[in-house]
Amino acid sequence: MANVAPPPPYSSSSSSAYPPRPLKSALRSRQQKPPEVLERERVLLARLPAADPREKPIRNFLATRFYKFILLTIHLLFSIYLKLRWAYHNILNRGLSILYYHHRTPQLIRKDVKELEERGKLPEHVSVVLEYERGGLDTLIDEVSEISCWCASAGIRTLSVYEQTGILKSYISTSHRSISQRLHSYFGKSRPRLRVHAPPLSSLHDPGQEGREVGLEVILISEEDGRESLVDLTKTLCDMAQRGKISSEDVSVELIDAEVTENTISEPDLLILFSPSVVLRGYPPWQIRLTEIFHVQDNSGVGYQVFLRALHRFAKTEMRFGRVEYRNKSRMDTGGLLRLRDFRTCRYPAGVMHISSEVAPALFVFRCVGVGKGPSLRLFRWAERHSQKITHSGSMGTV
Amino acid sequence: MPSPTLHGSSRTRKWILSSPPVEWATMQLQELLINALRQGPVPQHVAFVMDGNRRFARSNHIETVEGHNMGFEALAKILEVCYKSGVKVVTIYAFSIENFKRPLHEVNALMEIAKIKLLQLCQHGELMDRYGANLRILGHRSLLRQDVLEAIEQATEMTKHNDRAILNVCFPYTSRDEMTTAIRDIVSSSTIPHTSPPSPSPSDSSSSTSTSTSSGKTATPGLMDIESITENTITQHMFTSGCPPLDLLVRTSGVERLSDFMMWQCHQDTDIVFSDYLWPQFDIWKFMPILINWGVKRRKLEKERGDVEVRGVGMGMGVSRDGVY
Repeated sequence: MANVAPPPPYSSSSSSAYPPRPLKSALRSRQQKPPEVLERERVLLARLPAADPREKPIRNFLATRFYKFILLTIHLLFSIYLKLRWAYHNILNRGLSILYYHHRTPQLIRKDVKELEERGKLPEHVSVVLEYERGGLDTLIDEVSEISCWCASAGIRTLSVYEQTGILKSYISTSHRSISQRLHSYFGKSRPRLRVHAPPLSSLHDPGQEGREVGLEVILISEEDGRESLVDLTKTLCDMAQRGKISSEDVSVELIDAEVTENTISEPDLLILFSPSVVLRGYPPWQIRLTEIFHVQDNSGVGYQVFLRALHRFAKTEMRFGRVEYRNKSRMDTGGLLRLRDFRTCRYPAGVMHISSEVAPALFVFRCVGVGKGPSLRLFRWAERHSQKITHSGSMGTV
Repeated sequence: MPSPTLHGSSRTRKWILSSPPVEWATMQLQELLINALRQGPVPQHVAFVMDGNRRFARSNHIETVEGHNMGFEALAKILEVCYKSGVKVVTIYAFSIENFKRPLHEVNALMEIAKIKLLQLCQHGELMDRYGANLRILGHRSLLRQDVLEAIEQATEMTKHNDRAILNVCFPYTSRDEMTTAIRDIVSSSTIPHTSPPSPSPSDSSSSTSTSTSSGKTATPGLMDIESITENTITQHMFTSGCPPLDLLVRTSGVERLSDFMMWQCHQDTDIVFSDYLWPQFDIWKFMPILINWGVKRRKLEKERGDVEVRGVGMGMGVSRDGVY
């Protein structure tokens, strides 16, 4: 790249101007220099390494071969590692899916998420990414129905299903029928009211139930709800601006957010990927701002255990093997607080403690969130003295 | 997850690792690995969310500011690895607009660090100079203090002649703000009548790109044709216009969120990696597996799609993009 420009006239004279010192070290000294000197240096330095490779072609060739060989070896070893990891994870996932199976019983699913619900850490809006190529339309609709039922059982109100090609959108009524049937097989007669829709189109309710409260809302979205919808919005705004209805200063984050939310979906709380790694495949960009993105490494395919793990991850709780065991409630008294203070408190100065989980049946866990946030130690002591309840509005509940 | 506190055993390990022969050997190994990586596919554009400085400081009982400082050191090392192994553009999330809500003293300290380190980074003979990297500050600059702005001006001035690589520092940045700015720019340019062919507007140093929408087939006489607006128009109005597409996004500290970063750029084919390490702990040995994994994946993809086609397209794009900057 350096040889494109013709050599500046002073370049040869400059190298002879400093004969006693080695050229490179003279150039790299850190003293402040006038801009012309800097410019000259830059031209020279850009040239110096470029001249080197031509001197030793054989050596360079051999080095390249050698590095290529090393890279191949690394890739080979890494592939073996990946295979092993894949095997390990698959066995683990199989095990988990046997351990946690829903048996199409909403009560079981409820039980699995009970702890999260009590803690108030259940997402309101869950989004999933499904793939059409994996198994065709029937599989896709089947997966949508299953996930809808899990959401309904867990008490999640809104589910948005992203599928890149948008084929689901042309099968809304089929999807609606399929989900209804599946809900029926889960819940029997007392199934929740269902509403299925795809953003630009009108929604499909359960027949004869318009206006009643919706138990589960399923939104089908595709790639065109992402960038394309933002492009459309830009066009609309440009049109309005050209007709003098708005000025460019009116375009704000809030305005775009309102428009995007109305035309597509709102920001989901949790995004579950069933793919082995995190690639978003064109998922609407505006909406994934603070969305928790969950995936299981090396997993491919929809599974209840993935869904459940996502919910637990969202609530920052560990999934325990076997069904959730509850701690004895009697530990919730002052003794519990004292025990807890031994646990980690003493490390931090007063005022930085924060209860991150003090739901009745669970263990206490402390989290430090910086000075000035959360209940202080003083508050704890007070609670201790009075065996009182701590209610904190921030992220937590009562003691 | 690794515990960041120093135990007896890890202290001995540290001592052994810092002994001269071992240090020399690890350096050689690093060089070897980097040189090997250069031979395969390397992501052209990598983005980092440097998360975990505060948590690292807290768990090691040091000042928050010190944590940020260590984070900067980690950044310098990672940048070196990136540029050495052939990454063209590195984008880092230094400061979010939301971060202004943090305690004032911390914001001020962060600004001081940014001021000092930016200049340091760009000095003659320092990192940016060595790898020919051009510094760009992306974001909503009007929110910054005057002295910080001056430092930024000075730093970008120092590296503006570099053209081999780019370092994008997202300074007060959020992705939604970026998208909004892009849309606002398009809207305002659509109302400006241009009867003559789009003249190269004087590209001031402000971050809002002034890419003239060249495809201006005017429908309403004198105004931009609305139908000519495409995804590409918006992409060109992003702060990252002219950079190759984002290949890899790394977020540290185990948080699995984008937190308003590069949403427009990363939501298609970008590999997003969440690492459990805190940013000050994130070094070459934690980054290397991510790079290798990316390489293995890319190689597999190329094989699947037919080697020739993908390579041709990839290279062609790279060259044409190179021409832009």
